[in-house]
Amino acid sequence: MGYTNVRHYHGGIADWEQSGAPIQMGPAQVSAAPPSATVPPSATVPPAVGEAAPLLTRVTGVVHQWSWGSRLIELIDTQSTSRLFLFWLAMALAFGLLYWTAGLLHHSGLYEEGRRLDGSLHGLVSALYFSLVTVTSVGYGDVLPRGISRGLAVVEAVSGLLIFGAVISKFVSRRQDQVVTEIHRITYEERIDRILTNLHMVLSELQWVGMMFSERRAPVERISARLDSTVLVFATELRTIHYLLYRPQQAPEEPVMAAILAALASALNTLEDCLRAAPDGHPRSPVLTHALKTVSQLAGDICATCVPAGYAPALAVWMDEIHAIAGRIG
Amino acid sequence: MTAEAAKISPPPLGDISREEILSRLHDPSLTIVDVLPSSSYEAGHIPGAINLPVAEIEQRAAALLPDPAAEIAVYCAKFT
Repeated sequence: MGYTNVRHYHGGIADWEQSGAPIQMGPAQVSAAPPSATVPPSATVPPAVGEAAPLLTRVTGVVHQWSWGSRLIELIDTQSTSRLFLFWLAMALAFGLLYWTAGLLHHSGLYEEGRRLDGSLHGLVSALYFSLVTVTSVGYGDVLPRGISRGLAVVEAVSGLLIFGAVISKFVSRRQDQVVTEIHRITYEERIDRILTNLHMVLSELQWVGMMFSERRAPVERISARLDSTVLVFATELRTIHYLLYRPQQAPEEPVMAAILAALASALNTLEDCLRAAPDGHPRSPVLTHALKTVSQLAGDICATCVPAGYAPALAVWMDEIHAIAGRIG
Repeated sequence: MTAEAAKISPPPLGDISREEILSRLHDPSLTIVDVLPSSSYEAGHIPGAINLPVAEIEQRAAALLPDPAAEIAVYCAKFT
């Protein structure tokens, strides 16, 4: 097409993501937008937009400006459950020490039954006890704070509650995350199974149509109608195959991929035979023409360079055959 | 390489490394083109890349890539 300076990045989006390089998400902008500022690999922020900013992005932009709050939440989110729990415990102990040292100041320590807790060992133990009772929001009321200790106690109570709440919710959601991952895996496998089943169905339908055409055992219109709907189903399956193949994070295993490609090649072969068997005089319906074009486009787009490097070269051979037939059909 | 890719420039297509793309993310003289379908593009693409699915190259290339001498980097899926 006249482009003289084109180069190919062989790693593709898979290599890019794996290396932790920044990723941008969202639909294409109206014009080729300048790249947004680089973001850390784990974040998936919507792209910085120009004039025609949708309302949601503007609102999100406002929220993201409250950076210390969201950064704090992200910090808590990324910690493991046990780490967060240990931090919570360490915080309680640290506050205990603070109460103990606050007791050295006049009227600023803890009081038990009217007597001030001092810098002795008993004082330390009581301070730790008070700290734990406060951070778990139990608050027996046998040890009471005064002065600075009151401020410390308030801070400890609030943050203890928040962090312990985070610990519990993380603990609960761990099981949920496991279940979600399992569901994704099952759905993916079922989808692949369905593709194979549907391709087989397409193939047998096409064989029937081909046979009906060549033996002229039924009225042409009825056979054509069957052909139209079968090719429509074929196009839908191809779209699903595309969707599965082009998700770099989750390549199907080699035998599965081989099965899909083989089934696809067979179906395309049968489609070609079937089209050849159609009587010459009978025009193709617009539905059929459009569906054939879609099938040919999608099949032709299955790109040989996208096969995982370790897979057998036989897969590339399947892809080339699929290409060749796709070119002849479309 | 697909027949469509061969139409972009006479084979063979030169290579560009990830490091070079990374260092030139903000360089307006390099146009990065994602030839995957738009659903894959929306799920994640190299920042600043434009989406030109292989099937639409013939129709939209002139509009999206007006300058034939511009430096272009194309990429697709390529599992590792």
